[in-house]
Amino acid sequence: MTDTPTTLVTATGDSAGKTAITVALARLAADRDRSVGYMKPKGTRLQSNVGKTLDQDPMLAREVLGLDAEMHQMEPVVYSPTFVEGAIRGTEDPDALRDRIREEYDDIAADNDQVFVEGGGSWTTGGVVDLTDVDVAELLDARVVLVAEYGSPNDLDEVLAAADAFGDRLAGVVFNKVSDDAFESLDQDGIPFLESKGITVFGAIPHEKELAGVTVGELADELGAELLTDAPTDAFVERFLVGAMGGDEALRYFRRARDAAVITGGDRADVQTAALDASGVACLVLTGGHRPSGAVLGKAADAGKPVLAVNTDTVTAIDRAEGVIRGGRTRDVRTVDRMAELLGDHVDVDALV
Amino acid sequence: MGTLNELFDPDRVAVVGATAREGAVGRAVTSNLLDDFDGDTVPVNPNYDEVLDTPCVDEVADADADVAVVVVPPSIVLDAIEACGEAGVRNVVVITAGFGETGEDGAARERRLAELADEHDLNLVGPNSLGIMSTPSGMNATFGPENALPGGLSFMSQSGAFVTAVLDWANDNGIGFKDVVSLGNKAVLDETDFVDHWGSDEETDVIIGYLEGIEDGREFIETARETTQDTPIVAVKSGRTSAGAQAASSHTGTLAGSDKAYEAGLDQAGVIRAESVDELFDSAGILGSQPLPDTDSVAIVTNAGGPGVMATDAVGDADLDMASFTGATSDRLAESMPEEANIHNPVDVIGDADVERFREALEITVADDNVGAALVLAAPTATIEFDELADAIEAVSEEMDAPVAACLMGGDRTREPKQQLQAKGIPCYFDPARAIDSLATLARYRDIKARDYAPPMAFDVDRERAREILGTVRDRDDNRLGVEAMELLDAYGIPTPDGEIVDSPERAREVAEGVDGDVVMKIVSPDILHKSDIGGVAVGVSDDDVADTYEDLITRARNYQPDATVLGVQVQEMVNLDDGVETIVGMNRDPQFGPLLMFGLGGIFVEVMEDTTFRVAPVSEPEAREMTEEIQSAPLLRGARGRDPVDVDAVIETIGRLSQLVTDFPAILELDINPLVALPDDDGGTNAAAVDVRLTVDPEALDAPGTDAETDPKPLDAEEPTDD
Repeated sequence: MTDTPTTLVTATGDSAGKTAITVALARLAADRDRSVGYMKPKGTRLQSNVGKTLDQDPMLAREVLGLDAEMHQMEPVVYSPTFVEGAIRGTEDPDALRDRIREEYDDIAADNDQVFVEGGGSWTTGGVVDLTDVDVAELLDARVVLVAEYGSPNDLDEVLAAADAFGDRLAGVVFNKVSDDAFESLDQDGIPFLESKGITVFGAIPHEKELAGVTVGELADELGAELLTDAPTDAFVERFLVGAMGGDEALRYFRRARDAAVITGGDRADVQTAALDASGVACLVLTGGHRPSGAVLGKAADAGKPVLAVNTDTVTAIDRAEGVIRGGRTRDVRTVDRMAELLGDHVDVDALV
Repeated sequence: MGTLNELFDPDRVAVVGATAREGAVGRAVTSNLLDDFDGDTVPVNPNYDEVLDTPCVDEVADADADVAVVVVPPSIVLDAIEACGEAGVRNVVVITAGFGETGEDGAARERRLAELADEHDLNLVGPNSLGIMSTPSGMNATFGPENALPGGLSFMSQSGAFVTAVLDWANDNGIGFKDVVSLGNKAVLDETDFVDHWGSDEETDVIIGYLEGIEDGREFIETARETTQDTPIVAVKSGRTSAGAQAASSHTGTLAGSDKAYEAGLDQAGVIRAESVDELFDSAGILGSQPLPDTDSVAIVTNAGGPGVMATDAVGDADLDMASFTGATSDRLAESMPEEANIHNPVDVIGDADVERFREALEITVADDNVGAALVLAAPTATIEFDELADAIEAVSEEMDAPVAACLMGGDRTREPKQQLQAKGIPCYFDPARAIDSLATLARYRDIKARDYAPPMAFDVDRERAREILGTVRDRDDNRLGVEAMELLDAYGIPTPDGEIVDSPERAREVAEGVDGDVVMKIVSPDILHKSDIGGVAVGVSDDDVADTYEDLITRARNYQPDATVLGVQVQEMVNLDDGVETIVGMNRDPQFGPLLMFGLGGIFVEVMEDTTFRVAPVSEPEAREMTEEIQSAPLLRGARGRDPVDVDAVIETIGRLSQLVTDFPAILELDINPLVALPDDDGGTNAAAVDVRLTVDPEALDAPGTDAETDPKPLDAEEPTDD
């Protein structure tokens, strides 16, 4: 057993911003001349790299924090669908898994002043092998920071349930991605309520499109799209609009949205020109492998809006694009930098690192 | 004197990129000019000493030209245009293609071209243009196959191919032109510039246009209004249907805009809109040759009963009237016609009539002051020769003040007489409806000429307050605002019922107690569009029930859409819908014409009935009044079936105030007041109430400096509309 201070960052739901917050906190600690370790005991954000299924998050932590721990150390359990199926058939031994996590943790903790542990999915993930984040916190003797979203007071039910489960280990709550609309309610009613229940709230981070959205460039990469224009691709996309109506209707619809990508057929010049006219449209995604007419590309150049072309049909393109947005933006160093700034501005960092 | 005289009437034209190479555009343009142009044609090309036996200069600076026609390849076109500017050539026609219509590089080239034109103050046609023509000097600076015949029509087209097609057809039909311009990409000169120029060009009788889009709708309206006081404009606007709009977008990158906006915009501009090419030339032809009718009454003189009835139907369809003759006319007809003839309109001189009887009947009818226009309609009979009839019609028409059109129904035998009549400016068709439509065009233009355009309605408003409220859109996830922006209407003096948006049952109760009588309560959420569909509206709530109703509404909203943002509940004074009429006033910003105002029957019927009418803002008081009169349900406003009439002036004022609001703030992309309840006249009281509002605001346009109308000169004197 070590007594290295250890913080587990867990969340009330998927994609709440755990990775960015965990890695940013670790970096803020490192900035204070502490050596930090990172661990994500259950790998959940899986992607296959040449046959080996790994979580992207530890890779990011390694890059940002300059760690030399091995991947398998930082992520001892790959919580893949196959793993879960096996677990319920009894092929996994929970005790052995616990031992493995503990072992890797001890190694990491031994070399560092402080360890930041990221939970997997939501705080309940891992229950099939008795490794919810509650169990992990117990196992590693970690104090817990709960990341939660807030849209309405009903969301506090989840916070209370999690707080109850973590008991004394819960250090406090950080709210993330709070929209302007909900901020007042959280600030005036939500936080005082939680505090009256003895739950510490470290702060609330406003919704930031830099963190919520993907840039047009990233979207193009994720979709494998061809860029048909030289326009800048750093605008953010937070939602998708599908243009299947007439140009006039489409224009009304597009104008109402903000930070949107319009997905439409490459042959729908009327929808394309409408999208180029609406200021809230960040880019066009054209499907079906059709190239738009030169006149449309000329308009796009005048409007400074990028045009992406994909070979799939519109339905497939929507599914993939929605997936990109739902999974949150691709984590990168810039995301962590921005999160560190936001934590500094909105959250009691001293209490956290 | 027009503004582009030098462009259409130069002494010397340089062809930059002239060549003798077969099949080259540079050869076609040079050869067309050399064939017919009265002035000098100067080929410019450093590679040749002469082109088509004409001495060639190296640079445009050596040409001493008034107009330069540029046909060089895209890679050097900008240099060529700059050289024109530096050489002091003020008029440039760019035939070279490969600009905005070809994609990104082309678009950049086109932007640079517009900058060059601006730097050197060039009148620039094109690029991607077929060229220009002007018949008085025989100038054919196009690469088309044929020159135009001289005439009084000036023609602009956004399609070069359509120009060549029209000229080929017009030459066969003896139709002549004053000037012709292929607009191309309209990088500099657009339809408005030519409407402006031809409006003061004495040799242009009628302006005709083929347009896929209009660059600046408001400017076009202002300019065309002036021009159409003297010179009629007839235009085909293509891309009317959604499929057509799609094709137009692909062709020129034009965002078509709604057809309703075109209909309203062109009508407000005094432009006569043609739906087809036939209609375009039918209208232009008769406008250029026949006098305008004093009245809408048409007399029909025919030897064929059936076609006479068809023509009578056409008169009704065209919103013209059948003339009723004076007693004297009827007496004279009775005297001179056989007993079997019909001496009432339509006058049937019957099948055995000879040309003489036709002529007499025509002379008698057109002498009647009740007759505004005449149609001569003849079917072939054994007793009539069409060429003699044509002579007779021609002779009578020379004596007439009223316009006349002819229908010679038949095959080959009609061909020559028809050409004879048309050469004299008397339209002649097979189909009576087509002839009547032409006469109707004359009546329309007479009305346009008589129009008196009033200044836009203007009121004393709180613009700063409005700007603040519009700015709240920045706190939103999207660009929409709802009832939480009601104060916007207050700022512009549009009456709204008492009320407030509250976020607690206690506050709801306080507000309700401060309001006379029962209240209406509505959920306020940008995510819930149809509030009443989810039970998000409660009507007639007494003060005691307000707190409970607050809970109900919030719960329903949460159940319906758990993730919806709920801003609160609106507690509002009840508006008496029983005595009032629910109307809708709205605006949608058209990409070409700008703010398009809508007025119609409101409430739940608006989507079903579509009883609406449109105008491009800003509107004058007479225009706003017309809107209230045009809808089919207008009688409801005036008190149908024993109901009290509503205060229409209050509705008109609301339209005017909304018109001012959307003109002042281009950032407002759409706005609906639904319903605007029009109430019976209550002296001194509020006779219209805007109960609900929804709008879309472009935050970028709100931030952009100089985009709102503060920089626009506007009538500053706040003027209350008159009461009558």
